[in-house]
Amino acid sequence: MRRSVVRLITFVGGLYFLLEFLLPERAPAWLGGWKNPLTPWFGTATNVVIVVGTMAFLLGPFNLTRSHVMTLVRKQKGRVYSAAFLVALVVSMVATALKPEDLRTVWTVVYEALFYGVIAAFFASSMALLAFYLVSAAHRALRLSTADSALMLGAAAIILLGQVPAGDWLTCGLPRGLQLRSWSQWILMYPNTAVQRAVLIGACGGAFATGLRHWLGLGTRLE
Amino acid sequence: MVDWLAKLESLDRRWLYGGTVLVLLVPFVVAIPMPPGGATPATQGLYDRVESCPGDKVVLVDSSWDMGSRAENQAQLECVVRHLCRRRVRFVVTSVGVTKFAPEFAARVIEPIAAKAGYVYGRDWANLGFVEARGGMGAVVDGLCRDLHSVRPTDVKGTPVGELPLLDDVRSIQDVHLVYCITYAPVPEWISFVKGQHGTPVAFGSMSIMSPQYYTYLDSGQLCGMLAGNRGAAEYEALDGHPSLGTRLIMAASFGNCVIIVAALLGNVGAWAVRRRRRAGK
Repeated sequence: MRRSVVRLITFVGGLYFLLEFLLPERAPAWLGGWKNPLTPWFGTATNVVIVVGTMAFLLGPFNLTRSHVMTLVRKQKGRVYSAAFLVALVVSMVATALKPEDLRTVWTVVYEALFYGVIAAFFASSMALLAFYLVSAAHRALRLSTADSALMLGAAAIILLGQVPAGDWLTCGLPRGLQLRSWSQWILMYPNTAVQRAVLIGACGGAFATGLRHWLGLGTRLE
Repeated sequence: MVDWLAKLESLDRRWLYGGTVLVLLVPFVVAIPMPPGGATPATQGLYDRVESCPGDKVVLVDSSWDMGSRAENQAQLECVVRHLCRRRVRFVVTSVGVTKFAPEFAARVIEPIAAKAGYVYGRDWANLGFVEARGGMGAVVDGLCRDLHSVRPTDVKGTPVGELPLLDDVRSIQDVHLVYCITYAPVPEWISFVKGQHGTPVAFGSMSIMSPQYYTYLDSGQLCGMLAGNRGAAEYEALDGHPSLGTRLIMAASFGNCVIIVAALLGNVGAWAVRRRRRAGK
């Protein structure tokens, strides 16, 4: 029963958005000029999508909290991290809720310390580490061993230099067509575009097939 | 000599990391001017579109980035907002779907520029905040295009959009001259719905590492412009005559890319020396 209800909702929802998208807002005059009867419901349908998405978003924190509370209650290994998570969650929620918009209070300071001092710093640092991994990977893995790898290395070097001013400095004395920036633009606009289109067409075909299967409830396990 | 070169293959990573730090610091210590080279067609396309904005239309800026992609997206937002303020173009800011932190980061970038330009919040610009799109990006983008007020009834501070004079003139995508989406990797739904269904031009600002996937849309004319990483931001700043954050950061990227190439060279020289030593039977 539950499975049928989920399938029915999925099908009706998919049908609504498909027809609303495909049918014109107003039919041609020779067809009577009628208005698309689905369009007035579009705002409501979009709000339903947003509300359902928000509910799904809440499931994450709920499950995380439950899991970490259980770790603490059962005194399992790693309970220090669970405690740290729960403290951070509660303090962040309280600071965000109590921080006034226009006044600067102690909660504003706590909020800014947590947000910019901790979260933003952690996140930015973890992304910045990628630069070091990239240099290390270039040293260990980019090996000139076959014709294919030579082609890839050559293209990578042209793009790496052509996309930054270093390429302009190195080749600024050459005619424009021979400068690294022109080469990198050519690689991006032609070979890259052809490959991206091929990948996109394949991926869209797959996405269409998957969407169709979900919409029609074919081969989808709904518990 | 070969023995010495062979050591390069197993060079301690800490030397590479230390070298990277030192090299990346150079452009922040020494001011290096951007070499003249002109803008790519992608950057020029966005600049021209902003230049041609009529007085009765606005630009919708979707600023959906946070600390993860701040290194490139911040400069892309800064340079365009500065240009909008210089041209006295009104703009609306949204953050659709990607990250809940985005409105705060956008506000911290835009507010000083807008204040300096004498822009009044609510009259000249507005920040509508985060729009949840987990249920489907397409439906939300399409909803924004048709009825902005219904999808975002309040701004980021909870003020009803009906109380913001700017939003009286902005009800649907028909009132928008350009949609400029800045994030790590902008989603194609902006193209499908904003450009495809409603015909309003779209431009992207993306991380340089993600930008190759958007050249196909530039080539087809579905994107009117794009800022690819800090390179795009630096070119835009040069067009606008206001070198700033993007120009400083592209210099760091320039040095960083050179380090990557040098690292690959060292690794290959080391590998060649090891192969040669092996063949010699050592």
